[in-house]
Amino acid sequence: MPVTEPLSAPSPVKILGASAVALLTAAVLLFGAILPAEYGIDPLGTGRLLGLLALGQAQPIANEADEYRVDRTELSLYPAEWVEYFYRLEEGSNMVFTWNATGPVTYNFHASPDGAPAGYAESFDAQDRQDGHGTYTAPFSGIHGWYWENVGTEEITITLTTAGFYTSAEEGRARAAGYKNLTDIRGNPVPSIP
Amino acid sequence: MTFAKSILLYLFIAGLTVSSGTQVQAHPMESTNAGFVQSVDGPAPGPFLYLGAKHMVTGYDHLLFLVGVIFFLYRLKDVVLYVSLFTLGHSLTLLIGVLADVSVNAYIIDAIIGLSVVYKGFENIQGFERVFKIRPDTRVAVLVFGLFHGLGLATKLQEFTVSQNGLVANILSFNVGVEIGQILALVGVVALLGYWRTRPSFASYSFATNTALMTGGFVLAGIQLIGFVLFT
Repeated sequence: MPVTEPLSAPSPVKILGASAVALLTAAVLLFGAILPAEYGIDPLGTGRLLGLLALGQAQPIANEADEYRVDRTELSLYPAEWVEYFYRLEEGSNMVFTWNATGPVTYNFHASPDGAPAGYAESFDAQDRQDGHGTYTAPFSGIHGWYWENVGTEEITITLTTAGFYTSAEEGRARAAGYKNLTDIRGNPVPSIP
Repeated sequence: MTFAKSILLYLFIAGLTVSSGTQVQAHPMESTNAGFVQSVDGPAPGPFLYLGAKHMVTGYDHLLFLVGVIFFLYRLKDVVLYVSLFTLGHSLTLLIGVLADVSVNAYIIDAIIGLSVVYKGFENIQGFERVFKIRPDTRVAVLVFGLFHGLGLATKLQEFTVSQNGLVANILSFNVGVEIGQILALVGVVALLGYWRTRPSFASYSFATNTALMTGGFVLAGIQLIGFVLFT
């Protein structure tokens, strides 16, 4: 059994001294480095000296490489017809969008990374909705876009407005019934509705 | 053990605790996790269990406090007793806090949690006994600070809009996760301290280590107090 020595009782002076050292060290670290780096305030000027101030400043602006575009598209859909509307976005690029449909639609937003096998797509939002508004940041480079299918009995119009940093728009559509051997723009065979 | 040596060790340990304390948020519930919590509607025991465990294992304010608590606990029985008191305390306030929608300013709570680390370090260097000639009951202190730690957990969860649907199941899962994370962290701390206690260096460095613990606690409390002044 190992012997653990009992601690010699420290003197009050030693204890208070240690507490003061702890407080002072903490204060030096706080005011000298942590406040400049985390909160961007620099009471001692050490943040500027050590180049820590940049860490404390949030970067609200992200510069984009691609050209800024604004597009407004109207897509008409007959009953049972679907459409896919895609943009090409590089990883991290941003897009603001708003769309609405004049009738009930089945909808999802999905994306295919570059080099993915045909038919591979990641779906990000698939809910029953007749409109959508938001921002999209591409998680990878590839094509990113919407799928709408008219599930009603009337012809409808979908109005899509986008702004952001994307390079091209591609549209793929088919009428589900009455067409054979169709593929969508990702190479998927389009099942025909009996 | 020379004086210079113990100063060096102290600075090294202080550096370690502090470098881990430089993130403003002691608990970086990353934005993806936060996004998930907000999107959950209904019971999701798995994810909340994981988040609770992650919160504990990566929350160094809780870890520093636990190191302070079990620093001089030699017997497993005592470790279990004190950890149970701490668990009882933070489970109570976590559950009641979220269910009763009690929210306390996160900066204040985190500052108190930082000060709990200072308190334990000061107690470990026999500050209360030798300087103030009092001997506060450690069990009461651990229970009370447990209550504050739980309030901190509750406040963190409430920062996200947690859905009412499946709330109780999710909070319980989070709490169980916290305990699992605590056990995981404790196993490491108990093993390291247990080994260290068998070495002669334990006696020589325990004073410096607890002073460093106090430094870490002061830094955590300072960040939060200044944050409170600046941003509230």
